[in-house]
Amino acid sequence: MRVSARYVLKRVGFALLTLWAAVTADFFLPRLMGGNPAEYIASQTSLGSPQLIAALKAEFGLTNPNPFYQYWRYFVELAHGNLGVSYEYYPSRVGTLLWHALPFTVGLLLVAVVISFVVGIFLGMLCAWRPGSWFDSIVVGTSFYLHAVPYFWTAMLLLLFGAFDLKAFPLGHALPAEAQNFGPAGLVVRVLWHGVLPVLSLLLVSIAGHVLVTRNNMLQALSEDYVVLARAKGLPEGQVRWRYAARTALLPSFTGLMLSLGHVVGGALLTEIVFSYPGVGQLIYQAILNHDYPVIQGAFLIVALCVIAANLMADLVYPLVDPRVSLT
Amino acid sequence: MGVPLEAGRPVRSRDAGAARRVRFGGTAGMVGAAILLCFILIAVFAPVLSPYSPHASNFTPWQPPSAAHLLGTDDYGQDVLTQVLWGARTSIVVGVAAGLLASSLGVLVGLVAGYTGGWIGEVLMRLVDLLQVIPTIVLLIIIAAFVPSLGLGGEILIIGFLSWVWMARSIRSQVLSESARGYVEASRVIGMSNAEIMFREILPNLLPVILANLVLVVTGAILAEASLDFLGIGSPNVISWGTMLSLAFSTNAILYNAWWWIAPPGFCIATLCFAFILIGNGVLAMYAQRRGSMAQH
Repeated sequence: MRVSARYVLKRVGFALLTLWAAVTADFFLPRLMGGNPAEYIASQTSLGSPQLIAALKAEFGLTNPNPFYQYWRYFVELAHGNLGVSYEYYPSRVGTLLWHALPFTVGLLLVAVVISFVVGIFLGMLCAWRPGSWFDSIVVGTSFYLHAVPYFWTAMLLLLFGAFDLKAFPLGHALPAEAQNFGPAGLVVRVLWHGVLPVLSLLLVSIAGHVLVTRNNMLQALSEDYVVLARAKGLPEGQVRWRYAARTALLPSFTGLMLSLGHVVGGALLTEIVFSYPGVGQLIYQAILNHDYPVIQGAFLIVALCVIAANLMADLVYPLVDPRVSLT
Repeated sequence: MGVPLEAGRPVRSRDAGAARRVRFGGTAGMVGAAILLCFILIAVFAPVLSPYSPHASNFTPWQPPSAAHLLGTDDYGQDVLTQVLWGARTSIVVGVAAGLLASSLGVLVGLVAGYTGGWIGEVLMRLVDLLQVIPTIVLLIIIAAFVPSLGLGGEILIIGFLSWVWMARSIRSQVLSESARGYVEASRVIGMSNAEIMFREILPNLLPVILANLVLVVTGAILAEASLDFLGIGSPNVISWGTMLSLAFSTNAILYNAWWWIAPPGFCIATLCFAFILIGNGVLAMYAQRRGSMAQH
């Protein structure tokens, strides 16, 4: 199976366009509130000398007031991996702060997204095979409800019952306080232990969508003519379900997975805050509290970049699963 | 806040379980409508139903539920039940207003993109693709963080302007299938203008799909509003379920084991959204039944 070069170019082009839109939005955001970041920083650091302001202005590319020039400088600095300097943790660079936070968020998301996708499509298929049964009614009803639950609330409840009442899990953070006392194996176990409740809170909410979408697609596939024909031919039910119906039913679920990514990422950011999990969400929350605008700006860019990259990868893998796509 | 369920594409009701599903969808829709009605009554009659003034903060803080305070008191010495009842107003107003704004935008974009097609349609759909990839809930948080003192109106505006994408996509695909039907061609032949055909002929046929999508958009808006308030960047001075959870979190209600403060607001957000989802599902089920197995896509 080959993926046409035209298809790859189109998808890469679209990803670049999306990235450009995200960067442009990011450029204009701080200009919504006016003010001058250099003077703001200088006033915050209580070192507000004119020399510092001049140096910071140069650093932020503000010496030339032409907005087009600033827009251009913004791209140049980004291309060099420069996301600016944190107000709160001056002179820490935003890139460094994000670099330390990103692995926690990505880890949390990877585990939660994969488990919720696999369990979600499995439950959805089970429901579609017995539509109207008590199992179907309970799973669909529960999914409808969970679909409506705010991520941060499940997180708070899990923290209250799982960590505070039952004392079964830690009350937050990703590492134990005395991390240096543990060997590598002990540390891994404890990192996983700290991740259980955050992952669970993401799972509970995000599974629901996969269940409902898969169930719907599976019901649709089971009513298609070729499935009816396969049944009429007398093929075993298992073969009809898995080899005939499931293959077409799962493709839209895969697309749904990518489209829902933005929501899960948003959920993960909120969940991290509740669990004081040291990821990007926690960084954004602290930055909001401290009015640390460069960090907020940089965090959005990194999150957008990750989501766009994940979508691009999915787009490029998709034709291998469904050859019809690259033909259009 | 999970996968935006794709409304407007009901399962073809040809198999045996279909009739039963439609009945189930109808009943569930009625349950949803009943729950919604309860919340609307609570919102309207909050001043009458509340046992105390929403600004009274002279009670002993951190009290568990009792006869005097059915849902206990919070860190500020306020009655939790009173706060919950008044909070219904914020969620419903922001959810419905932002939902209507987003739906109007989505219907407009979907109609124009689907009916006129051409380069305008192409540009609009690329814009939709683009906004679908950018994590809008994150963008929402970032914008709210940058705009000082957003307030309720601001929340409605930014949520509305960032939530129309799903509606546009769903409406466009419906418009494409409507355009292929005879009446559109007939209207054109008798000399109706494009605007007339779009809004007077096609639009009424889309109402069930619009309604089913509207409730999902409203659900998304309620959850988005709660998230902004939880982060303290929505409208912190207005009583809302999101703000309640925000205050509970920042005053360590978990360490006080104050479940009575944490559980009710989230339960209300989830149950209100659940009601909207049930209604949307019921509308779709009835729509699918009316159109039978024909005319899908």
